[in-house]
Amino acid sequence: MKRAGFDNPWLPILLLLPQLSIICLFFYWPAWQALRSSFFLEDPFGFGETFVGLQNYTRLWDSPQYMKNAWFTLWFSFLVTFFSLAIALLLAVKADTVLRGARTYRTLLMWVYAVAPPVAGFIALILFNQRWGPLTEAFAQFGWLLRVRLEYFDTAFAMIVASVWKQVPVNFIFFLSGLQSIPRAVREAALIDNRSGISRFWTVTFPLLAPTGFFLLIINITYSLFDTFGMIDTILRNNPGDQPVTLVYQVYLDGFRGQDIGGSSAQSVVLMVLVLALTVFQFRLVERRIHYT
Amino acid sequence: MAELSHTILLPPEQARAARPVAPARRHRRPLRWGAVGNHAVLIAGALFMLAPLLMLVQMSTIPDAQIMRTGPSFEIGDRFWPNLEKALTESMSFSGETTGLNMFRNSMILGLGFALGKIVISMMAAYAIVYFRLRFATLAFWLIFTTLLLPLEVRIVPSYEITQKLGLLNSWTGLIVPLIASATATFFFRQFFMSVPEELLEAAKIDGAGPVKFFIDILVPLSRTMIAAMFIIMFVFGWNQYLWPVMVSTEEGKFTLVQGIKQITQGLEGGHIPEYGRSNILAILAVLPPVLVVVFFQRWFVKGLTESDK
Amino acid sequence: MKPTLITTAIASLGLMANAAHAQTEITWWHGMGGHLGEVVNQIAEGFNESQDDYSLTPVFKGSYEETLTGAIAAFRAGEQPNIVQVFDAGAATVIGAQGAAVPVQDLLEANGHAFDIEDYIAGVRYFYADSDGKMIGMPFNSSSPVLYYNADALAEAGVEPPATYEEFAEIAPAILEAGYTPLVQTHLPWEFVENFHSRHNLPFATNDNGYDGAAGTEILINSPEMAMHFTKVKEWLDAGLFGFHGTSWDDNKAYFLDGSAAMYIGSSGDFGGLAAMDLPFEWASTYLPYWEEITREGYQTFIGGASLFAMSGHPAEEDAATAAFLEYLTSPEIQYMWHRETGYVPITNAAYEMAKEDGHYDRFPAAETGIKQLMLPAGENTAGYRMGFYVQIRDVENRELSRFLNGETSIEDALATIEAEGNALLARFAQTAIN
Repeated sequence: MKRAGFDNPWLPILLLLPQLSIICLFFYWPAWQALRSSFFLEDPFGFGETFVGLQNYTRLWDSPQYMKNAWFTLWFSFLVTFFSLAIALLLAVKADTVLRGARTYRTLLMWVYAVAPPVAGFIALILFNQRWGPLTEAFAQFGWLLRVRLEYFDTAFAMIVASVWKQVPVNFIFFLSGLQSIPRAVREAALIDNRSGISRFWTVTFPLLAPTGFFLLIINITYSLFDTFGMIDTILRNNPGDQPVTLVYQVYLDGFRGQDIGGSSAQSVVLMVLVLALTVFQFRLVERRIHYT
Repeated sequence: MAELSHTILLPPEQARAARPVAPARRHRRPLRWGAVGNHAVLIAGALFMLAPLLMLVQMSTIPDAQIMRTGPSFEIGDRFWPNLEKALTESMSFSGETTGLNMFRNSMILGLGFALGKIVISMMAAYAIVYFRLRFATLAFWLIFTTLLLPLEVRIVPSYEITQKLGLLNSWTGLIVPLIASATATFFFRQFFMSVPEELLEAAKIDGAGPVKFFIDILVPLSRTMIAAMFIIMFVFGWNQYLWPVMVSTEEGKFTLVQGIKQITQGLEGGHIPEYGRSNILAILAVLPPVLVVVFFQRWFVKGLTESDK
Repeated sequence: MKPTLITTAIASLGLMANAAHAQTEITWWHGMGGHLGEVVNQIAEGFNESQDDYSLTPVFKGSYEETLTGAIAAFRAGEQPNIVQVFDAGAATVIGAQGAAVPVQDLLEANGHAFDIEDYIAGVRYFYADSDGKMIGMPFNSSSPVLYYNADALAEAGVEPPATYEEFAEIAPAILEAGYTPLVQTHLPWEFVENFHSRHNLPFATNDNGYDGAAGTEILINSPEMAMHFTKVKEWLDAGLFGFHGTSWDDNKAYFLDGSAAMYIGSSGDFGGLAAMDLPFEWASTYLPYWEEITREGYQTFIGGASLFAMSGHPAEEDAATAAFLEYLTSPEIQYMWHRETGYVPITNAAYEMAKEDGHYDRFPAAETGIKQLMLPAGENTAGYRMGFYVQIRDVENRELSRFLNGETSIEDALATIEAEGNALLARFAQTAIN
């Protein structure tokens, strides 16, 4: 809040009204219903329900499959985050160095941001087709027989490649602008101190980019948790089999596809708590950053 | 003005250096090979990004039966125009309303409507939170920002029921407004408003400007870059929606492209020859407008994105 | 615009015969994409042209799951379509919710259409019926798993298509020798589990395979027969006599289409698509194999695919329109047309007779396999199964059986896991219905 704010009593309420009413209608009301449903087993048509207490939660804890999905979600998020940050950083550093065609490179490297997730999944399906997928053929050259949608690990690999492909652009944009805002004096000093490009990067550039990286870390974790939904859905085509599934997709499978309203609501609530923790972490991080810079 | 806001957002020493480093200095590079290597990495990266799209184009030029057997190749066939015509004008539905052109229009309405609605509503809310002494400001803040917690996908069934209770199924309002119930843009605008120097407000107050005048004459023009960036981000986000349109729009006249392409890929799983040609063209059509928006307005887009993280 | 009772009455009296009178409009949500969707549209057009009182609009709602979920959400909201297509695994959800759907048999009879369940082909009639044999959902796109074979490949290997799995085990090495993968499947639960039980007349669930009600129903999958079958399949897989390419239908079938697999177990409905593809080899189909060591003669299989449910809560004149459409849909002409265009079986005996008389099966012998298989001797376990949350149970079956075939678990553990998780899901489903 600004120190010298306006004192008008009704105008701010009027200004907030549209946003608050939309949120109450389309967020809190559904969220409340999800919370309530998580304690019931409910007939999908709404004819009857049975209160089951915490059963919808305890069965998650007891289910090896849910735990397996949780682990998958964890390392999927980690790998997607790591590789999309690493590749984006490499490309940003190079794009910051070259003189010719810098703008063209930037355009070519960022447009994928706008690709719809289902389309990314559709492309991955073609690239990793078991019989003639170009990437399947390419890896076969190295003796790796990729069998996506058959082998758990191979499908996870395809999902990660597609997610990284889609996420590199955002990270690239942030890193590039972070690099371009490194003070000239710092660059020049570094150039004198350190003739080797690699050690210059690790001792000077990397620490200066760390705040951007921290911020991106959160963005990327959120991305790999939620925004990969459309992509995973297209790859699995409603047929999970023994293939890897993220927690968000499991909510969809049980609730939307399997009509298990109580079970999926409980999973939604678990996710809510998870993201709440992440958000608190993010806020504290942002605050610390403001403090230090 | 924009300069000013920029300076405020960045720490002082960074802001000074934000101007591009003089290219003249860079011309004397010690190693030519280094530059070649840099370009090689960048070209590889660009290909990594571009190749899948080129593959879609290639696949749409050859007959479906051939793709089914051999997949993508380097061969360019003659089916592109027939496939394009089919995708644009032929409908796959009973009503005849799900042509590519029709769905393109609907996607536009969804993307533009969502972006505009979200920006207007978020700016108003952010303004109220930042610029007014409000007793329940903190409460409002948390009420709004908690919405970042739960994406629509995981609360979709109750959201649908409520949309119906309000009689909004198959309407543009029902399609667009519930999507707005997330605070991303409000959050970005709040961060941006916080960075606007207090002196501006004080000066405006001395000049006798009221809250409405200050908002419209000073704050909105000041936020131009931010608005443009938000507009692009939100347009892309709205355009790319899938699951919500599937639920809410049951009238085929309201189907969007992303919805259509997903449904077509489901048609690939069936007894007959999958229509790779048509689905690839629709996929390209579904991707093109948001990509063009991002590419053409990339200056604003980049600036808005990167400044909003503060 | 909804017509009022008066306008409908006037219209039916023919007083407005010359004017464009208000028609009763009904909707039909379905999950038939691509070519199938086009045939659905043809049927709807035909119905609309055949009379003046009703107008039907079919809407493609995506996958079967999206169609069903959309319809359920719409039902809760009072916006349900008149007709919704429900797939086999989802039927228990709709039938379990007493009052969500009007039994089609009641609907047809109430609106003055004659109904006799004996008119329907044996393997078709009871799958979507209740335990008393009353038809709840109208079978629509019905198919059964059959064995397709590449006749050229079998000739090359010098063998005949197998009738039993024992025969398959005998001839498979020769097919492999000739350079083909002898066999692939396309849907583990449907072909190797559900219809496996029917083909051998084995119980698949307690409570009369679940038809007697959700309470206390348990899945009977952990049997020596299942263990034996999958142990053999795994042996074949390891010996190169069987190909497994995941749980997706198309990923497996593709190996038959490109000529690398000599046989595949698929849907009798695949026939229409295969014919349209102009494959570069001769092919035909025969019955789904069975194990002679389990049963001397194979029993009939039941149908897969989906059915049409009439959702409740509509005005009487709309229900009349729905009944009129179902009547039209089950007429021999339309059933034959549907059969011819898509490869799905005709659901009535009359339509089957018509197809026979028309010489359809002389032209396409493969088209008859599915129907004849559905008319094989019936047993007490051949009507089908009714289990709630079966979509999730199928997921568990797919998951555990894939893991077994991929060598990650033993068949004993896989079947025990399916049984345990399946029964937990069934118990949960039973709880949703109480009160």
